[in-house]
Amino acid sequence: MIDIVRQKISKLLSDGSVKGVVALAMANGHVAPCLFQKEDDLEPLCLGDTKKPGDARYPLNKVLITIARQYPEDVFGVLVRGCDERGLYVLYRLNQLEPDKVMTIGIACPQELAKACECKKPYPDELVAGEKTEGITQQGVQDMEDMDLSKRFSFWKNQFSKCVKCYGCRDICPMCFCRECSLECEDIISKGELPVDIPVFHLTRAMHMTDRCIDCGLCDETCPSGIPLRLLYKKTSKIMNAEFGFTSGINKNEQSPLNLMGPAPEK
Amino acid sequence: MAGLAASFGSGAMTNAMGELETTDAIFIIGSNTATTHPLVATRIFRAIEKGAKLIVADPRKNQIAGFADLYIRHKPGTDVALLNGMMKVIMEKGLADEKFIAQNTEEFDAFKQGIDNFTVEEASEICSVSVKDIEALAKMYGEADRASIVYCMGITQHTNGVNNVKSLANLSMLTGNIGKIGTGVNPLRGQNNVQGACDMGGLPNVYTGYQPVTLGAANKKFAQAWGVDQLPTNIGLTIPEMFAGIENDEVKALWVMGENPVVSDPDADHVKKVLKKVELLIVQDIFLTPTAKLADVVLPGVSFAEKDGTFANTERRVMRVRKAIDPVGDSRQDWEIIQEISNRFGFEMNYDSPEDIFNEIASLTPSYGGISYERLEGVGLQWPCPTREHPGTPFLHKDGKFTRGKGLFHAITYNPPAEVIDDEYPFWMTTGRVYAHYHTGTMTRNSKSLDFEIPEGFLEINPVDAQNLDICDGHQIKMASRRGEIVTKIMITDRVDPGVVFMPFHFEETNVNKLTNPAYDPIAKIPELKVCAVKLEKA
Repeated sequence: MIDIVRQKISKLLSDGSVKGVVALAMANGHVAPCLFQKEDDLEPLCLGDTKKPGDARYPLNKVLITIARQYPEDVFGVLVRGCDERGLYVLYRLNQLEPDKVMTIGIACPQELAKACECKKPYPDELVAGEKTEGITQQGVQDMEDMDLSKRFSFWKNQFSKCVKCYGCRDICPMCFCRECSLECEDIISKGELPVDIPVFHLTRAMHMTDRCIDCGLCDETCPSGIPLRLLYKKTSKIMNAEFGFTSGINKNEQSPLNLMGPAPEK
Repeated sequence: MAGLAASFGSGAMTNAMGELETTDAIFIIGSNTATTHPLVATRIFRAIEKGAKLIVADPRKNQIAGFADLYIRHKPGTDVALLNGMMKVIMEKGLADEKFIAQNTEEFDAFKQGIDNFTVEEASEICSVSVKDIEALAKMYGEADRASIVYCMGITQHTNGVNNVKSLANLSMLTGNIGKIGTGVNPLRGQNNVQGACDMGGLPNVYTGYQPVTLGAANKKFAQAWGVDQLPTNIGLTIPEMFAGIENDEVKALWVMGENPVVSDPDADHVKKVLKKVELLIVQDIFLTPTAKLADVVLPGVSFAEKDGTFANTERRVMRVRKAIDPVGDSRQDWEIIQEISNRFGFEMNYDSPEDIFNEIASLTPSYGGISYERLEGVGLQWPCPTREHPGTPFLHKDGKFTRGKGLFHAITYNPPAEVIDDEYPFWMTTGRVYAHYHTGTMTRNSKSLDFEIPEGFLEINPVDAQNLDICDGHQIKMASRRGEIVTKIMITDRVDPGVVFMPFHFEETNVNKLTNPAYDPIAKIPELKVCAVKLEKA
């Protein structure tokens, strides 16, 4: 798979269709985001597999936003999995990236990774390498909803109590790009004490994820306290889907029901 | 570290962080783990989810105490009594690992005699913890198949610091919870590289890898490597001894690297006086700290992002750090500063890179002998790693084979802190950290977002005491000890017991270390930062 990806990136760079490609590199035994700019510098390119497939992922779109803000006229390539591509669609809608300035190099996730992620669509629409595998039926939210209410309440209270307010969930999130953040607004969230305001801190973030979260799971992976944040955001996504038939990132030209007024748009 | 070295022969975290996930019981004492070591806490949370029991003993109910199966709030400075009471119960209930003790330890009888002469009731009285709780604590730790101890400065920063650590070592040996995966006695080191600094001989009595300066062989080896006839065999000075030396005119110059004693050391007003007195004060740091402001010469060093080299973390893991940006402004690599000064003093140093220095370290330090930059790619290596083929050592003292040979029991009796409360100074005061700041705030208080979280110091006080003093949350209070006084805002909370107050030590403007006691442990020379007597009045 990596050879196909390498060829594709090499071609994009050599024919001048992109200024650079945001992907992953393996250096000194670690995986890190990297901007590749020359076709003959692709040696360290990797797909973020260390012990298991895709166990070293990064929010490459977030890196891309930073670069695109600096070089608004240039076109950049970016390595995407299914979730990353969903993220791009949302970022196009929210005017953080321009579709004609981004070229994707799409890879499909193996079944193992899709399962671990409970991913509905473990492949991008525009696939360059890898085999499409079946989406996984989501079960986590249902299991949680089946839990007795008082148990569920104490479960979440317990989870939120572990938070050390490191903002890792926000900082890793490819959908968090605001220059000012509600989580740092004293009128909403008090500061100076741990645990953070329960449940305001985490639910404020969950509310902001309702029409944005693309279920990539980086928040879960990054949380030093092991709070199952993704499950929380899956729940808000489920509500959005039930109420409005909306799933963020599924359609390239999506519109968020939260930005519309009047009758539902025709499908 | 001195306590563990005496008991086991090696002064470092005995087990690896990840092993905490595999244990059946975790006993945290004197560590605010969730807030100050979140990545250790991650493993502890995972262990809890897998069914491990968590026991927390701390005078202040910190964040992780909220997750404990049993939380014990003993009085500050009573750790030895608590641990001896606990071990008394373990022995009475037949939970001691007699086979392990017989095969792998020595001086058990003297230790046992000390415990025999002590009662759980006495422990209960001293610690202000019920007999029932001490029994529950002993059973939870003693009955676990594999149990880990985690501790931090709440154990060490006492005049009894070394005895506290030796007591924890006793506890682990008594139950055979040492030398196996998921067990051990695990001090959490505060700085990312404080383990590395100690490993490199940043102590007055040892060369790298804890080779004593008083030992002829080590001395000869280093003299040979550095091309000199001989090296001094006398032990150097600890910080309190340096300050005393300045006062007696025996120490004329002081070179402070990456430390901020004006804020971090006890009896801060006195520290300031001493630093003003010393003839030449050189401070090497990345910011102009309150200590640097007193300096005759400031040498700008570099931050982690500007340097190449290695760090050794709390679990003895040696890891590479790589330069991300060039040194800012006039700053220089710390090793280059030292090399330049050495050269001007007439001792030639010609290292051309951190790797060059590392190769010398490996050649002179048996525990680092097998480590090279090449082998440090990826996750690094845990020492001891004596040879090129050695895979590193996740946990020490395997199968009861202690570094010093046999594990040494110490008979430890309880001694109160150097300063106890009285009519004039009726409150126990203890210090610690908060989540948004690190140490004296040299780095964190320069961060806009962290300063936003917690911009000033505060004193935690129990609602009962606040009511008696007729003071509201957020108001100012005057706090004084025999050494100094400060005015600070208060936070009313039942995290602390009535009669006990807590204050973070990050803030220069409300520097709680003006009040703390410089009395120190006779062996480790660590000051009693964690307990002193204070009085409070409305400001």
